[in-house]
Amino acid sequence: MAIHIKNGIVIDPKNKIKAEKMDLFIKDGKIVDEKAVKKEECQVIDATNKLVVAGGVDMHAHIAGSKINTGRTMRPEEMRVVRRVADTFRAAVGRVLLTAPAIGYEYAKMGYTVSFEAAQPPIGALHTHEELDAIPMIDKAALPVFGNWHLVFKFVEEKNIEKLKAFIAWAIERTKGFGVKAVNPGGVEAWMYGKNVRSLDDQVPGFNITPREIITSLIQATEELKLPHSVHLHCNNLGVPGNYQTTIETIKLASKFSNSKRQVLHVTHVQFNSYAGSSWRDAASGAAEIAKVVNSIDNVTIDMGQPIFGHATAMTGDAPFQFTLHRLTGAKWSNKDSEVEGGAGIVPLVYLPNNPVHALQWAIGLELGLLIDSNKVVLTTDYPNGGPFTEYPYVMAMLMSRKMREKELQKVSPYVQKATGLAAIDKEKTLEELIHMTRSLPAKILGLENKGHLGIGADADVAIYDLNPLDVDTSNEFEKVYKALKTAVYTIKGGEIIVKNGELVKEVWGRTYWVDARSKVDLEAVMPDIENYFQYYSIELQNYGVEESWIRMPERIVVG
Amino acid sequence: MWGEIMLILKPKVNFVVTVEAEITPELATKSLDEILNFKVYYGKNLVKLGDLFEVKKEGDDKKIILDGDFSRVKWIGCRMEDGEILVKGSVGTNCGAYMKGGKIIIEGNADDWLGAEMNGGEIVVKGNTGNLVGCAYYGDATGMSNGKIIIEGNAGNYIGEKMSGGIIEIKGNAGDFVGTEMRGGQIIIHGSCGFVGGDMRGGEIAIKGSFELLPAFIKKEEGLWVGDVNVKGEGKIRAIKS
Ligand SMILES: [Zn+2]
Repeated sequence: MAIHIKNGIVIDPKNKIKAEKMDLFIKDGKIVDEKAVKKEECQVIDATNKLVVAGGVDMHAHIAGSKINTGRTMRPEEMRVVRRVADTFRAAVGRVLLTAPAIGYEYAKMGYTVSFEAAQPPIGALHTHEELDAIPMIDKAALPVFGNWHLVFKFVEEKNIEKLKAFIAWAIERTKGFGVKAVNPGGVEAWMYGKNVRSLDDQVPGFNITPREIITSLIQATEELKLPHSVHLHCNNLGVPGNYQTTIETIKLASKFSNSKRQVLHVTHVQFNSYAGSSWRDAASGAAEIAKVVNSIDNVTIDMGQPIFGHATAMTGDAPFQFTLHRLTGAKWSNKDSEVEGGAGIVPLVYLPNNPVHALQWAIGLELGLLIDSNKVVLTTDYPNGGPFTEYPYVMAMLMSRKMREKELQKVSPYVQKATGLAAIDKEKTLEELIHMTRSLPAKILGLENKGHLGIGADADVAIYDLNPLDVDTSNEFEKVYKALKTAVYTIKGGEIIVKNGELVKEVWGRTYWVDARSKVDLEAVMPDIENYFQYYSIELQNYGVEESWIRMPERIVVG
Repeated sequence: MWGEIMLILKPKVNFVVTVEAEITPELATKSLDEILNFKVYYGKNLVKLGDLFEVKKEGDDKKIILDGDFSRVKWIGCRMEDGEILVKGSVGTNCGAYMKGGKIIIEGNADDWLGAEMNGGEIVVKGNTGNLVGCAYYGDATGMSNGKIIIEGNAGNYIGEKMSGGIIEIKGNAGDFVGTEMRGGQIIIHGSCGFVGGDMRGGEIAIKGSFELLPAFIKKEEGLWVGDVNVKGEGKIRAIKS
């Protein structure tokens, strides 16, 4: 079926369209030229005075896999919020920690059509894909973790980049993953001995390597493999006061590499890695220093990891950090050991405005969003670590309105006044910048050419909001902006209308992207190492991994 | 104690599946029409109170008599703030949950989760109760924090888990895991019970009959132990002298 979106006000940063009144045409799941459709056969959507943009792209969230499922199990209190009783759609529950259907439905209602699971334990790949397959409405993918895998360590130690490349290609295929994620490289291995690493040059226990060597080797391998997405890094020292220096040092590692199409390093949820000071008693913001470095380097992008006041669940592959957090808050804790591929931990959390540390984290996230060039910073809450993704419109409105920030600043601990520069920032980003930070930029960072924009040939993922960009004063009308962006008037996914007036109207199933980088590597050379490793492993090599036919709607992206 | 003016509910049938009816004394102040149309779940179906119960309204006082077998009716008195409920038979699970004030008298038995997370008021059970009296719901940090529960018969397992205040008095016996993770308040058991006070941080459990003590409690004097030492607790377990 064809759709004609009439008279909408389109913002499409990738195609340099800044709030222009124009019509869009959709056919066979794609954005097409006007001439490609017969107008009388089109379903017409009247978008007069409404904002028309590409569907949102969440490049970093935890939506599927063993971590989030353990989180659900250990937090029955989260499951008491009933969002939808089963009718033509499935039952959906969860306060912040949502069930799989609820995740898809809530994204769709907000006008988001893509979300990436940002940390897939390789041995949990099958579970992750089973769960991704239970999330309706959106396209998705998973990033397996490589930063603490023994075979990665072995090839880094041997300085054998060819074997590392072959191993990565093998592992991404086996896990049906999308790219290379690294979580606290070396630190999670140290956790197996009850320790952590504290700098880029600490030695990883049991191996003659350092986090610095792991990160640079992974970047080199990823670039040589020509993966669509760069290395996606959760830095060392996450959540530790003073860590902003480690973060800056890490960011600078990217300067040795280059790629004409995209960044060579994406540093994730940077808010958690932007703390100055020496303890939580004197912690302060390091956001300005980090922003300066990110803005001055061309090949690094970040996402915010913005905390939202209220309930959250910390869940990361950074098992030693999770333990520290558990000791700090006294909240219940679960440790997930993923054999010798990595680890993970889960701790419930509530961000309170009058808690100085939480207010500091909240302010730092916003500082990063404001101070960093809109072409380098993506909007995320690191769901559910910073809180619900359903509050992205709050973050969007905050970055666009100083007045709203002043109002919100009155509600939070006065500690942020002396420990951060938020109050003094008068920068107000434009709606166009925020559309970029939530659509075209994450799509570009992930290397998804058909996502995040509305040019001819793009996937027909469209969100229409009750907001006229030619008319709205985003500085002053922040409540209107927030309300409008919270629920889409229409969400169109792959050319099908799935949400109308904020209500679900149709359930669709999105694709699962995975990357096949095997063509240019010598898999034979690395198989003896893999076979040897599996002699001592939890399961047999032949039982390891996920077959494409097991996935509901796989889409293979071949590179090399 | 029961004046003339009240609301009387009587089941019309034997319930095949459970009923979820958050009936509080507040309902008695409503018009008969509103009462008959009050929404309750019968299994998965949302139905009217009048479909399942005979309703007799004899005035506007905040008093309800539940006449008959309510053992398959859940959430009676949930979140009630004042007034009185008299159950002339037995009552289903979650009776008096989150209760803030008023009084519930149950002439028969009460099922599990009686007075869960209760914060005030009084519940009296003439018969026995199930498990998890005055507990926290799964995942929540605090169970009963105020008010009083008196059980004239026996109680099941997990009584007063995560309790932080109020009193639970059991005239008969109780099962295992009494006052687990308890932080305040008092549990009095006139009969005997199983294990008491695991991970207890504060409050008091007083027992007249026999009970099982964990090794994590330190004897302070004859008939008084303090613990649980595993959580640096200062909870008291006291043997009541007969
Ligand atoms: Zn994350």
